[in-house]
Amino acid sequence: MPIYRYIEGQSFFHRVHPAVKVFALFIMFWSVYWVDNPLALMPLGILMLIAARLTGAWPNFYRLRWFFAILVATTTIMWLFFYQRGTPLFTIPLFYLDEHSITMPLGRHTHTISFGGHTVALSVTGLSIIFGVGRGLKLAELLAASVLFLSTTKVEEFTVGLSRLRVPYRFGFAISLAFRLAALFGDSAATIVDAQRLRGYNFNEGGPFERMRRYVPVAVPVFMGALRKANNMAMALEARGFGNRVEPTTFIDYPVRASDRLAFAGLILLGAFHFMLYYTGLGAIGPATHRPASKVPAKAVARSDESASAPIYQSSFRLP
Amino acid sequence: MSELRLMWRNTRMVVLCAISAALYAAVLIPFKVVPFIPGVTELRPANAIPIVCSFLFGPAGAWGSAIGNMIGDFFGGASPGDLFGFVANLAYGWIPYKVWELMADGEAPVITSPLKLLKYAIACLAASVLCAVIVGWGDNVLVIRPFAVLGNVIIFNNMVSAMVLSPFILAAVYPRVKKGRLTYQDMMPEVRRKPFAIRLVGFVLLVIGEGGAWAAGNLLSTGFWKPGFLPAHWLEAPYDKPVMIVVGPMLLLAMAGLSLM
Repeated sequence: MPIYRYIEGQSFFHRVHPAVKVFALFIMFWSVYWVDNPLALMPLGILMLIAARLTGAWPNFYRLRWFFAILVATTTIMWLFFYQRGTPLFTIPLFYLDEHSITMPLGRHTHTISFGGHTVALSVTGLSIIFGVGRGLKLAELLAASVLFLSTTKVEEFTVGLSRLRVPYRFGFAISLAFRLAALFGDSAATIVDAQRLRGYNFNEGGPFERMRRYVPVAVPVFMGALRKANNMAMALEARGFGNRVEPTTFIDYPVRASDRLAFAGLILLGAFHFMLYYTGLGAIGPATHRPASKVPAKAVARSDESASAPIYQSSFRLP
Repeated sequence: MSELRLMWRNTRMVVLCAISAALYAAVLIPFKVVPFIPGVTELRPANAIPIVCSFLFGPAGAWGSAIGNMIGDFFGGASPGDLFGFVANLAYGWIPYKVWELMADGEAPVITSPLKLLKYAIACLAASVLCAVIVGWGDNVLVIRPFAVLGNVIIFNNMVSAMVLSPFILAAVYPRVKKGRLTYQDMMPEVRRKPFAIRLVGFVLLVIGEGGAWAAGNLLSTGFWKPGFLPAHWLEAPYDKPVMIVVGPMLLLAMAGLSLM
């Protein structure tokens, strides 16, 4: 089972130092965090699509194309409900909520809470659509960043990257061992599922809970198979000096080259650029939504004041 | 709390941690039964694994739950919210055995009576609520997803797996693990427990903290509660600052309670 998405290649992304790759992942998170406007998020998305082409990671992106689409769509719909700001463009009636009342028998303080008796409707505003699409794009770009990372980084490189970032050795080792074992256990789980299916066991029978309970005959043998490995693995590790307090050495060397320094500087610039989008208000969809008023540039404040009487979605929507 | 640190000195516990993480990730990635919100969350049998590993391997199961979830997140798209997912899953794997030690010390975590089922359900609910509240809080503060979505879906999801799957797996696996002397009590006999009274206070703080955080998070993120002590311009969607300021201290209370257990 392809639990790890690494694709062999000789691109710049493949050859860059593991610590820089982990840092790149952080910079992607950082850059996406500061920008809300869907248009301002576009350049980073396009950059990642180009990188996917250049690195040969495109098959992984293509395999997940529906997941990307679903992620953007569901996130947008979710925020349509929760981001109720701005003037409604239209209203969608959802259902009629019958009138209900709950009486709380508290002696002299007995009172009745009444609710319902009206149609529950979703008011869709221009601002909620822009905000929702922005959130969806953010999540899609974060997914793209992790797919790009996994497509160009081996497990051992990831471990080296973590150790260079001062993550304790044993913790990094547990992560890399888990990555490797997950593929092994995933294979045994798939084999057991196939074997059970051959015996006529139907995993898709019944309701959701029944379908879930049907996984017990898969989980137990996978569990027992895993535990059988535990003792031997621990002995093998200790025989190789895992318990030693001395700093472990590695036979794979990852020297820091000029290209790594260049990549590091480029990432800093990318992060700074996205922070500037936030700071200047170009990456925002609303006036000072996520930052203190004192930090809003004078120009932006003036612009907000001028349009204070206009509906919120008109005054707040600024394009880069 | 010290066992979370001490376990890293024990090679067998490190291996069990990696095995717990790998089991979680291996079942998490391919077996997604019913999607609740496509791209957000689904009914997953894998959520039963951290509960089982917690009862069997204690702190190794807790770290395994956190690492396994991280691997799963990498596969399905990592985000800054995954840092909260890491902490949340650590708590999800940490709470069950701590609550069980408090309520059913010395008893096997195999459901054989209604009373044991009740204790088991309380342990799983305490773990599920804190996990959901941490993820919901983190994602709402980072304005990724509203608290009211994740804060409730995760509780339901975790509880379904914990009640429908985990008891059966535990009934099959626990006696063999006990016989093979692979439980955390066998692996780390050096760990000393705090006095019962302190652990009880910790549990009460945990319940108050996570219960308050869950209620406040839901009310704030849906706009039903607009605290008067906060500036008016903060009290609008996506409610990131109110959720951070009001729910944050309650989460800290819950974590303080957990550390006392």
